[in-house]
This record gives sequence, C-alpha cells and structure tokens, in this order.
Amino acid sequence: MPTIRNPWRLCFAGLASGCALAGSVWGNAPFWGGAAAVGLCWVALESYRRLPRPQPADADAGAAAEELAESEPLAPIDPNDLNSLVEGMLARDRYALLLRRQLVSNLSPEQFQQAREALENQMALAPSGEVSLAAPGDDDSGDDDSPSESVRRVEAMFLDRYPVTNRQYLQFVEAGGYEQMSIWDPQVWTAVFDFVDATGTPGPRFWKHGRYPRGEDDLPVVGVSWYEAAAYARWVGKRLPTEAEWVKAGSWPVPLSDKKQWQRKFPWGDTMDRERCNLWGSGPDKVVAVGEFSSGVSVGGVYQLIGNVWEWTSGNFGAAESASQDLLLPVPMKSIRGGAFDTYFENQATCQFQSGDNPLSRKHNIGFRCALGMCDVAAPEPGAGRHEEFQEAEPEQAEETHA
Amino acid sequence: MIKEGAMPMDSYRLAQYAVQVPCYICGVDNTFDAELCRQCFAPMALAHQATTQKINPRMVAAIGASSAGKTVYLGMLMDMLSRQPDRLQMMARGAFSINLQQSTASALARGEFPRKTPTEPDRWNWVHAQLRMAGKKQPLELIMPDMAGEALLEEVDHPHTYDVIHPLLSKCFGALILIDTVKLQSGSLDQDYFTMKLLSYLAELDEDPKRGWSKRPVGFVLTKADECEECFVDPSGFAQARAPGLWRQCQERFRNHRFFAVGVAGGCAYRNRREGKLRVPLRVEPRGLIEPFEWLVKQA
Repeated sequence: MPTIRNPWRLCFAGLASGCALAGSVWGNAPFWGGAAAVGLCWVALESYRRLPRPQPADADAGAAAEELAESEPLAPIDPNDLNSLVEGMLARDRYALLLRRQLVSNLSPEQFQQAREALENQMALAPSGEVSLAAPGDDDSGDDDSPSESVRRVEAMFLDRYPVTNRQYLQFVEAGGYEQMSIWDPQVWTAVFDFVDATGTPGPRFWKHGRYPRGEDDLPVVGVSWYEAAAYARWVGKRLPTEAEWVKAGSWPVPLSDKKQWQRKFPWGDTMDRERCNLWGSGPDKVVAVGEFSSGVSVGGVYQLIGNVWEWTSGNFGAAESASQDLLLPVPMKSIRGGAFDTYFENQATCQFQSGDNPLSRKHNIGFRCALGMCDVAAPEPGAGRHEEFQEAEPEQAEETHA
Repeated sequence: MIKEGAMPMDSYRLAQYAVQVPCYICGVDNTFDAELCRQCFAPMALAHQATTQKINPRMVAAIGASSAGKTVYLGMLMDMLSRQPDRLQMMARGAFSINLQQSTASALARGEFPRKTPTEPDRWNWVHAQLRMAGKKQPLELIMPDMAGEALLEEVDHPHTYDVIHPLLSKCFGALILIDTVKLQSGSLDQDYFTMKLLSYLAELDEDPKRGWSKRPVGFVLTKADECEECFVDPSGFAQARAPGLWRQCQERFRNHRFFAVGVAGGCAYRNRREGKLRVPLRVEPRGLIEPFEWLVKQA
C-alpha cells in the first residue's frame, strides 16, 4: 500500500489532468488529450516515487536519524480555539500575521503585546528615506542638481535582525509549507515537486528526511531557492526585502544636503574589517550561527548583512544598476546581496554590491531574511476589538492590564 | 649630442660571459645575461635562481584545452596560498612569479576573467615559488608555467612545434589536467578528445615502468564546476558519465590519478564586446582549488 504523504499535490495533479481530459472529450482537441496523458503520467510517477522502499540496513537508518535534529515539540493548534491558534502562531514566529490590521482586533492585549515584543526582538526598524544602490563614486554625475538614477525612495520597514535559521525553517516544513500551494507563486507549482532534500523529502537541499543535521539549529538555512524563500516569507506574514530596502538597512544613509547623502560601504563604516564578518579567510570557511560576528551589526541592529550567506532579495538582477544592465544573462536571475563565507574579494562584499542567481538555484551559500512594511503593522489601539470582549470575559484581569 | 666614452673591460665580467648557463627547462646553453632561453623561451631567471640559491626546483604542470581555466586556476591558487597559509604556504621567488596571481586577481576583482594566455612561450607567465607544508620541515621549490591551451594542442598534434613543452612535461613530477565541466555537461566531446590526446602524449613521453607517467600522480580537475553542482558530489562519476573515453584511458594508463571538481566563479553571465560575447564572473567564491594541488604536492 503506497504511503501518500502529500495527497494535496496528487489531488492537484489529478484535478488538472481530469480537467484536461474533459477538455479533450468535449473540446475534441488533441492538445488537451496530450495534456491529460501527461497529467495522468505525473500522478502515476508521483505515486510510484512515494512507494515505500526497502532500506539497506535499519542500523544505518537509525544512525543517520541520530545525527539529525529533533523538532521541538510545539503545542498542537486547535483551529476552533482562537487562543490556541494565536499561541501556536506566536510559537512559530508568525507574529507578523497577527499584527496585520485586519487581524489585530482578534488579539487580547497580552497577545498583542507578545506579538509586538516578538516583532521588536526579531526585526529592526529602518526609517524611510532615500538610498543609492550604486557604489560610492560610481554614480557621480558631476552635476549636483541632477538626481542620480540609482537613488531610490524607501518607506519605513522592518527587516529581520538575523537570516532565517534552520530551526525557523523547520517549522515551515513541519507545518506542511511545501503543500500549501496558496503561498507559492503559481508559475513554480510544477517545480515545487523538485524542492526536496537529499532523501527526496520536501525541504532544503542539504537536509535529510526533512531535518537538518543536529547542532545546526541556529545556522542560516541554505539550499533554498528564491521561490522557497518567498513562500516561507509569505507563510510568516512577511516578504523578501527589495533591493533598496536591503541596501538601506545596511548602509544607513545620512542626508548631507537636499541632493547629497552619505552612506556606508559596510554596515559598520567605510573600511573593510574582516573581524566583523564571515568571508573567505576571516572565518572558519563554512557557515556560522546567525548570532556570531556581532561586531558587524548595522546601525539599526541587523546582524550579518555582510558575509556568512548571500541573501535573496525580491529584485531582479541587473534591473537596478547601470553596471549590470549590459549583461546578457543565461536565465533571468534574482538579486542576491551581502556576500558569503566563501566570498573572496572585499569589493564583492559591500552593501552596494549586487550579484545574481537563477531563482531555482539551491546553493550552499545562499540564504535569506524577511522584511515587513511598517504600513502593514497595526499600531496599538487600546480598547478596540477583542479587547472589549476580553474585558467582558475577565473584568478583573482586564482592569489590571489597563492600569 | 652623443658623448663617446670608454667602458672599463672588467675581466670578471668577461669571464661570466664566457661561461654558458644551461636553461633549467631544456638544458640548452645561454649567455649569462640572457633573459629568456634562446631555444625554448623559458625565463633564465629559473636557472640563475637554481644556481645562486643552490636549490633544485621540482616542476609541476597544469595543462588542458584552451579556455579550460588554467590561468584562473593557477592564479587563484597562488593568491589563495599566499594569503591564507593554513595548510600550504606559498612564497613567490622573484618578481616575475607574482605576475600571474596579480593579473588574475585584478581581473577577477574587476568582474572579468583574465585575458587568454598568448601562444608565444616568451609571453607565458612562469611561477617559481617556495611551498611550505604543515608537518614538513623542508620547503618544496616548485616551478609552474601557465601554458597556452592552443600551444599544447599544437604540440600534441605536431610534436616539437614548441621546444619548451616536451622537456618541461618530461621533467614534471606530476600534472593537473584541467577539463571544462560546462562543455562536458553540454554534451560537447571536444574536451574528451583533446584530453585523450594529451594523455596519450604524456604517457608516451616517458614509458619507464618505474618512473614514467604511468606511475606519476595525475589530478584530473573538472573546472567551472560551480555551474554544475552534481560534479562536486561525485567528480569521478561525472567524468565517467560525461567523458567515458577519457575516464577509461586514465584508468588504464595512469595508476596514480584522482578526479577533483573546482569552481572559482559563483555565477557567470556574458557581456557584449566588439570581439563577441565575453563571459564574466558575477562573483568570486573559490571552491575546491587547494585539494588537487595539495594531493599532488604531497606526492612530490
């Protein structure tokens, strides 16, 4: 009896092939007939792939399992119990969803406070303003009155203080993130089947059996494509940062006049200091935990913007900067920024340096962090929505809270 | 106005001119102040350094087809070993030995690959370096030229076209043979054929059963593997699948061989130039460069 781990996918494939089959019958079109055949083959192939295989040795499997991290047992979510739902979302770092204006009225004051604290602890605020995406000196037009093409306006936003870790990403995997097709870009639905780990289980490329190696909880998750990063960001109620947002959080521009501003080359200043970041020759030649190299923190309190892992951004590579506009790309690429533990040259690990990669690439040195627009976060509104319900239910406790 | 003057005829200088200096590569006698060997165009500085410092440098070759990545590999390897002396430490001997790493690193930092190595041997970059290995007291003196792929191909097809290649490869204690992974992956068999030719040439250079090339270490380096992740997982398996002729030949003719995968650029794109599409690196993240070289020199 085959074990169907992802029935939703098969349903989707079956539905698609069924529709195509119906089209072929009623529409009498050879195209739809072919599509139906492909869809049915797909279902058959997926079913075959999910058949239980004989393992070479149980002892080996046990030893391998011991080397993998165990997930922290989180309280199960009861969808009919609002408190359970909120607590579960907070435990899974999905506080950004709770702080949406549309949802915040459902929170009790304590829950709202918890979500706000989680936001402030895990994300750093970057104020609104302008930022230049070009490296200092590259966009000097010589004419003070002409605005530079590389300058962008950025609204106030929050950026994750740390890159997303293995532990955080495991919550997404365990919650069935790879089966919730609503959080994936529709054009990549067929590719989601290929987003599997080394053992064929949905997850980052270098994991096994849907788990990362033991002891790597706080390492940034790598081996994820741009689409996986974007899906995770949606799942936690955030998004990937834009080019300008990422650069602004790192270079922290200071306006010197109406036309000119000064911005840093690195989060700590204008001079490379290899003690502050994990680059080639300055670290252990591998990915380190997201809390290390704390001396390289940005003015706003964002860690490891430079070094350790490249970070996916939402932008297209080559779209923003004149230096990369005459490039002929073998495939459309997404922008990555910040350099990684194996980045060799200092000039390729600055806040302004942009590189790119295939959005389907799942490389050993590309991770991501998430952003959240300030406009998407509800401000405290005491006495609104569920607060009143809360007062009615437990008046004594509510009075204490207001006091 | 030209002033005429008399130069003193120092007897010691005349004596130096009288003594011929043999080229370190081909052994042909040259005058004392010759910069390049008149026969093979190898720098005579190699011979002078060997004489004055009383050392006997060993030679190692990095060879491969045109555009296989020899210059980038050697230049980056030298730069890495001179910057991070953890496992191996490389110290260039003579200013000319730094040219290769300088030109390679400068080009890569600008977001370009270095220019193609000219086919003329007098324009090749030669490296003479001292190599210190962890756990070994005596440093190893090494000579490594960056040869042009076109010249190698010409020499293989028409032996003795380039007088430097035959004596150099005969004296090398081992070789790294670079193969373009991207071309292999695309299904092109040119790399396979050319490398097979090179292996035949090497094997026939010295067929001595004890000291010949069949016993010398040969590292097969699959370059540009950053564009083919599966190559990093199993380089030998990749070569077996994509270059079966080469794989079979090295199994039968070279007892001491190993396959490696290396990558220098994390990603590549193209730029339109007058001469056509130019491949450029999007970033530089060396991967696996030291391992093949370390494996080779440990057997020196």
